[in-house]
Amino acid sequence: MEMSLPPTILAFPVAIPLAFAALGIVFQLMRPTRAVPMQQFLAGIALVCNLAVASVLLVFTLSGGRLAFQMGLWPAPFGITVYADALTAIMLFFVGLLSLLLLPFAMASLDARRERQGFYPMALVLLMGANGAFITGDLFNLYVFYEVLLMASFVLLALGGTPSQINGSIRYVVLNLMGSILLLLAAGITYGTLGTLNMAQIAERMPLAPPAVTALIAGLLLVAFGGKAALFPVFFWLPSSYHTPHPAVTALFSGVLTKVGMYSLFRTFPLFFPDLLIAWQPLLLVLAGLTMLVGVLGAFAQPTIRRLLSFHIISQIGYMLMGLAVALIPSPFGVGFGLAVAILFLVHNQLVKTALLTGGGQVEIEMGTGKLNELGGLVSQKPLLAVLFFIAAFSLAGFPPTSGFIGKLGLIEVTFATDKWLIAGVSIFVSLLTTMSMIRLWQYIFWGKPHTQRRSRSEYAPSTTQAMLLTPTAVLVVLSLLIGIFGQRALDATQIAASQAIDRKAYIETVNLQPTPGVQASEPSAAVLGTRMSAP
Amino acid sequence: MTEIYLRLVDRVLTPLIVVLAISLFLRGHDYPGGGFIAGLTFAAAIELTILARGAAPVRRQIGRYLLPLAGFGLLLGVTAPLLGIYTGGFFKSIWVKFDLLGVTVKVGTPQLFDLGVMLVVIGMSLTYLLNLSERGKEQESPVFAGHR
Repeated sequence: MEMSLPPTILAFPVAIPLAFAALGIVFQLMRPTRAVPMQQFLAGIALVCNLAVASVLLVFTLSGGRLAFQMGLWPAPFGITVYADALTAIMLFFVGLLSLLLLPFAMASLDARRERQGFYPMALVLLMGANGAFITGDLFNLYVFYEVLLMASFVLLALGGTPSQINGSIRYVVLNLMGSILLLLAAGITYGTLGTLNMAQIAERMPLAPPAVTALIAGLLLVAFGGKAALFPVFFWLPSSYHTPHPAVTALFSGVLTKVGMYSLFRTFPLFFPDLLIAWQPLLLVLAGLTMLVGVLGAFAQPTIRRLLSFHIISQIGYMLMGLAVALIPSPFGVGFGLAVAILFLVHNQLVKTALLTGGGQVEIEMGTGKLNELGGLVSQKPLLAVLFFIAAFSLAGFPPTSGFIGKLGLIEVTFATDKWLIAGVSIFVSLLTTMSMIRLWQYIFWGKPHTQRRSRSEYAPSTTQAMLLTPTAVLVVLSLLIGIFGQRALDATQIAASQAIDRKAYIETVNLQPTPGVQASEPSAAVLGTRMSAP
Repeated sequence: MTEIYLRLVDRVLTPLIVVLAISLFLRGHDYPGGGFIAGLTFAAAIELTILARGAAPVRRQIGRYLLPLAGFGLLLGVTAPLLGIYTGGFFKSIWVKFDLLGVTVKVGTPQLFDLGVMLVVIGMSLTYLLNLSERGKEQESPVFAGHR
């Protein structure tokens, strides 16, 4: 079935959150008691519209479509290109879904002070940054959207202004700015060498660049995006900041921030450096293994719910990199199977990690503490939450019939088939440790004797508030189970995304580069390279 | 108390800088200038007033409008490209030419976008400048999350 979509639709994932965030900021003019409900209402509309657009794009791309739009109709590579295929649409859809699910959680749990300081508009700006990073087809534009993300997340981290938040935010922003500088440096070197920033044209011209320059750009991008994704050894910003803001903010971050970095690796490496992805496989696998190990071992030493879960975010990122490392290796399951599993794993992780952080966040909000040794015995007070948290924890560890099982099974299958025994062994070992850590976490919170001096505040809270707090956890756990049960269908969908992501020719054709006036088509690279590279 | 000379300079220069900002904004599309620079120039004019007369009166007069102004600027900045969908695509520009007292005037959506940029820059940079000029106000004691 052939579907057609007006390419202008690609503007909406950025335009909708931005417009409603702007409108929300204008309403700051009113009294806070009236402005905040208005901002909540606007955020609700924006998130529903955003999810609707993402769903349309998802259906379109999963039926095999690709879409590119030139901003202002300036032909590529002169204008800014935005591009969507199934990988983009999957990311847009799940980030949109998570944001929508977190809205009731935030409304039920945020204190008035944080709401008045503009939580809802800032969350929309964060969504806009993420969406922009997903759809952009221009390397410099990608950097700009990373800056939007960084600024929005900085404000959200610091919202409330407690000393620990300021401390965490400063570490966060300094370490992330270094990543941004490396990304900017990579963009500069790319432009200086290849004479273009359009990602399709970069893909076209990269083979003409000297191998050393290609390796330099690839290395810079790996460190920059790896830093954003919290890969070993550039993950320090994450555990030092994620436990400081409000639990709703942490949950939002876990679903969005690190995943944007991982998405950028999925997007740029197969497109720009297909050869390096194979040549650098040992490096990527070592990084993946160390990320997994360091993350999970770090988690054992953590005294609070969110600190512990932050380290698990890092550990899980390693699995995604492992999938990327085997993305282009021919395996019995077809080329790109590794990437397909990695994409599935990314989605699984977004769902489950956010479920755990909203569940843990609910405990923290209601008990007034996230310290593991001050919690206990919640299973009798909150049986439903205990069950949901249990399923989410075992999904993270990779037990059937959850999405974590499918993801890990696929990864182990593809690494076995390509004779990467060591990384497969490490990943199984890390899964065991994750299981131990998750059981330990669940026991601390829900098992044992209830703490006498701490009573749940939920006894005094209306039941609608309870329901709003529980909704995201419940929906996300159900989604994780659905993906686990219909695993093959989910894998088929991500297989489409992976095969589109590694199809460089189709990307370049969809973007439809126009020849540069005065220079022969696809020759300027040679001219530019000649002048730039003649210097010793 | 602030300097008497500075107050004089403020009285004379601030309106001039505001005029400069407006002219920078208007010539922006084809010549050096534009919304960003005009916004910074405008904020510099107000900063002169802050230096000359202190942050408190400025805060009293315009403080509460700054953030909404930036929001309104953002709104203009996203409306202008959206108008372009009418003529073919997001960010496609629309220009209107007309004669006003014998002078041809060109108005278009890029200028609307630029105006949005200018308002955002004015709103945000004045927010920073005012906050920097006010000495360490006591923070309210932090309230942790809980049910309202």
